[in-house]
Formats: sequence, structure tokens, C-alpha cells
Amino acid sequence: MDIIANYGWYLLISGCIFGFFMAWGIGANDVANAMGTSVGARALTLAQAIIVACIFEFAGAYLAGGEVTSTIRKGIIDPSLLTDTPELLVFGMLAALLAAGSWLLIASYNGWPVSTTHSIVGAIVGFAAVGISVDAVSWSKVTSIVSSWVVSPLMAGTISFMIFRSVHYLILDTDDPFNNAKKYVPGYMFLVGFVLAGVTLLKGLKHIGLDLSFFEAIQYSILIGLGIAFIGSRFLKKINNTKVERGDIVFDGVERVFAILMVFTACAMAFAHGSNDVANAVGPLAAIVSVVQSGGEIAAKSVMPWWILLVGGIGIISGLAMLGYKVIETIGRNITELTPSRGFAAELAAATTVVLASGTGLPISTTHTLVGAVLGVGIARGLSAIDLSVVGRIIVSWIVTLPVGAGLSILFFFTLKGIFS
Amino acid sequence: MDRITDLIKKSPFVPIQKHMEVSLRSTDELLNFFESATQSKWEEAQTTRRKIVDLEHKADELKAEARSLVPKSIFLSVPREDVLELVKIADEIPNIVKNISGLMIGRHMEIPTVLIPNFIKFARECAEVCRIASNATNQIDELFQFAFGRNAAEEMQKLLTELDLMEDRCDETEIILRSELFKIEKDLPPIDVMFLYSVINKVGELADTAETVGHRISLIASK
Repeated sequence: MDIIANYGWYLLISGCIFGFFMAWGIGANDVANAMGTSVGARALTLAQAIIVACIFEFAGAYLAGGEVTSTIRKGIIDPSLLTDTPELLVFGMLAALLAAGSWLLIASYNGWPVSTTHSIVGAIVGFAAVGISVDAVSWSKVTSIVSSWVVSPLMAGTISFMIFRSVHYLILDTDDPFNNAKKYVPGYMFLVGFVLAGVTLLKGLKHIGLDLSFFEAIQYSILIGLGIAFIGSRFLKKINNTKVERGDIVFDGVERVFAILMVFTACAMAFAHGSNDVANAVGPLAAIVSVVQSGGEIAAKSVMPWWILLVGGIGIISGLAMLGYKVIETIGRNITELTPSRGFAAELAAATTVVLASGTGLPISTTHTLVGAVLGVGIARGLSAIDLSVVGRIIVSWIVTLPVGAGLSILFFFTLKGIFS
Repeated sequence: MDRITDLIKKSPFVPIQKHMEVSLRSTDELLNFFESATQSKWEEAQTTRRKIVDLEHKADELKAEARSLVPKSIFLSVPREDVLELVKIADEIPNIVKNISGLMIGRHMEIPTVLIPNFIKFARECAEVCRIASNATNQIDELFQFAFGRNAAEEMQKLLTELDLMEDRCDETEIILRSELFKIEKDLPPIDVMFLYSVINKVGELADTAETVGHRISLIASK
């Protein structure tokens, strides 16, 4: 108790700084995959991608980031064991942020594939299991999180496979692909709006003063979906069936229709990413804040202060604006194979899966989900060549990241504990 | 960081298409070569021959590039064997062109004047078969773009029918050419006649190979 009373503000401020930098790192690195696909498909220019990402990452983080944040904050650890020693939770969360942050720095410096989500989950489990007690970890929650890491790419792959097959059936393999594209693409736009709005509204926007019942939420989602389809079809009217050169790629009418659709799925992707990944940075921060602000009380019921999501959102977009654009540019230049009709299928599937996970409070890796989605398109014969060794690398990155994240956070945890006692 | 770029690989068909373009250029050069050779301008023929050799080297590089893009870890939307087989067959075209030009330049081979019109016609027709095969290779993009849809596959089949027709015409001209040679072969030095037949064979082989390339593509398109 004394520690919280004496050093509470220092701990809180360092938590804010670490959390902000974590968010900054997510913005600088992780957003790139989500947006790079759209830039690669030439659906967005680099500048447009940054603007879209800033707006929708922030919206996703702020509007739909609460569930995953609360999982990171109090779902993985059972806080009831810590009522007598609240400072341990604060140290642990600081250690987890430090561990995940430094591991991400080391890994990206060396070009190793790691996921922010896996680092932070590994780190939290690590300090809790070793630093506090094995029982402090809510293992059932951890099991469901880990299985969601397997399920999410599979689910995204299945969805993207089905979306791409439907595109094939309704549009590409017909006598008049161009007009059919114009006819059916608004339907996909509706899906984008409906899924995003649905998950966000169902999970509630109480923190901005919007409290809807289930049916109201569904109704509003349908309206938003229709609205988006309507806006989209206005844009589609302007497209004619001629070939246009964009950058180094020639697009025919069909692909240009899909490029419009991809602007929408890119927004969805940024929203989904923001809603899931912001928690990696601000989840631990939220835990620290709630302990410090309540003067050392671990109240499981305490409401998360809204400004925490704000810190995360701002952190992400500043990382994106400072470094992320470079990575997006590199990715965009290198994936020209993913044409808009493929890219949208992958993005829509990945965004749907990630948003669903965000709504359920499961922290998953957006990149891995997107990888699953792209594989789905490949299996539907939408891509000529896909490197399966990436899948192997992802599995290795899990096996390495979890123990390393855990080990580092144990180290930082005992260091912090030593400093303050 | 995982990069989504690592996942999506370059299509092996890009170097295959470039390879076919190089093959086509080398058959065009072969026509120039015949032009010079039939007029006994061996200096000129030598220059063309050098271009042909260069093109053959370039084709080899592209062949290697295409092969490097289909290792086991890469998941392809078309059977790997078909792609490798296509590369292998397509690579014979610049090789045959090189052989023909080598054979003729080494012996300063004279084409008997009576044969020249049909010989040139035959060579042009064979080059045309290569051109159609190259068009078919370029059409593979459409196949991918429309995800192997019915329409794109039908377009491809049309092109391949055209290819077969052209190859038939080639065969007919070859028969005429052979019978012309047969009529005069007694009056020519036997060794020269032997090599003339060999050159005609090889030019015909060029058209055959180009046709096989087309058939391989049709296999890929129909799967």
C-alpha cells in the first residue's frame, strides 16, 4: 500500500510512457501489413492510406478497443489474489510492457517475425505465473486466447476462400464481369459496414454514452451497411469499362470497381486492427491506472477511464505517421500480385475475424489473421504463388515469442520489485 | 515483423512470359539470318548469329528464374509439374534456333535457288506458330485475373485452335519443300543434301515445339 501511495504517480506516468511507446511501435510496424495490401493493390495511394489508417485505427481503438483491453487488464490474471499486494500488479504490468517492448525492438532490429499480441500475452502470463503464483493466471482464459490464435487464421482463411469463390461465381466467371461487378460490389460494401457496425454496436458504446439493445444494434448496423453500400455505389457510377494505368500496373474496369470496394475494406481493416491491437499497449496501462487511481485497491469492477484508449489511439497514429508510412510503402511496392479483387477478399475476411475477436475480447494477431486470409484466396486459385514457409515461420515465432516474452517480463518484474522494496 | 509481402510470391509465369518473348525475338532473328544466308551474305549472317546466341543465353537465365520461383515450399494455383514441363519445352525454342544457325554458318550452307521461296515461307510460318504460342503464354494473365473462369479458358482454347491450324499449314509447306528437294537431290553433293534435310527437320521441330508449348498451356488452363 505504501508503495502505491508514495510512488503511485511515478508508476502511473512510467506506465503511460511505456504504453504510449508500445502503441507507437504498433503504429510504426503492425499497421503496415493491414494497410500495405491496399497500397499494393493500388486501391489507395500512400498518403490516402496513412489518412485512412489514422482515422480508422483511432476509431477502432477508441470505439471497439475496450473488450480486448479489459481482457489484457484483468482477464489473464485473477486480480483477487492480489488484493493485499496491489503493487505487484503494477510492477508486473510495467514489466510486461517493458518486456514486450524490448523484445519487439530486438526482434524487429534483427528482422525476426514476432507478434505484439503474443509478446504481451506471454509477458503477462510470465510475470503472473512466476512472480506471483501459478494460480494467479486464469489458465482457462489463456487457453481460449491461445486457441483463438489457431482459430483466427483458419477462420479468416475460410471466410476469404468463400468470399473469393463468391466473387468468382457472381462476377469473374460470367459473360459480363464488368456490369456484374457493378451490380454485386455494393453487396460486399454492405457486408463491410454491417459487420463492423454490428460488432461495435453489440459490444456497446456505453463509454461514449450510447446504450443500445440487441435489436436496436442490429437495426442500426443494417442502416449503416445500407448507407455505406449507397455511398459506394455512387462512386461506382463513375467507373467505366476502360483500362487505366495506375503506377506500374494496368487495371481493367472490373479491377477498378474492386479498387473502390477495397477502399472500404481498407478502412475496415484499419478499424479492426485498432480495435484489437490497441489493447496490447493500453491493457497493461489500464491495469496500472485502475490500481493507482483507486489508491491501491484492486477493484475488478472499476470502469476503465476513457482517456486510456485515447493514449493508445494517439500512440498508434503517431507511430504510423513517423515510421509506419515507410513500411507501408515498402510493402505496397512489393505486393503487386494481390489485385483489388483478391485484396478485398483477404481484407474483408481478416477484418471480420479480427473485429469478431475484438468484440469477444480475444487478443489475436492481425498479421497472422491476414496471412490466413491471403492463404484462403490462394487456395481458391486467386493467387499464382504463395510461400507456405511463412506459415512455418509463424509457428516458430509463437514458440519463441511466448517464453522469451515471459522470461523478460519475469526479469523486469523482479528488478522493479527489488528497486521499490 | 512478419511482412505480408513474404507470403505472396512472384508468379513464375512472369519469367515464362519473358522467356517466350525472347524466344520469339530469336525466331525473328532466325528469319533475318535466313535472309542473309540465302543471299550468301555471311558477314551479316554472322552478326545475326551472335544476336541469336545472346538471346539463347538470356532465355537460359529466364528459365532459371522461372524454376527458382517454384520450389516445394511455394503453393501454386496450377500443378507444379505442368509449370516445370512448360519451362522445359519452351526453352527448346531458342536452343533449336541456335542449332539451326550454327549448323548453317559452320558449313556456309547454300540453299538451292529453287527451294528459297518455299524455304522462306516455311520459316515464316514456323515463326508465326511461335508468335501464337507466345500470345497464349501472355494470355495466362487473363486466366489468373478471372481465376480460371470459363470465359478466360474459352479465349485460351480459341487461341490454341489457331495455333494448331498454323502448325498444320507449316506441315504442308514442309512436305512441299521436301518434295522439291527430293526432285533435285541427285544433282547436289550428298552431304549438303543430308544437312539440308536436317535443317528443314529442325525448322519443323521449331513449330512442333511451339505447338507443344501451347498444349501445355491448355492443360494448365483446363485444370
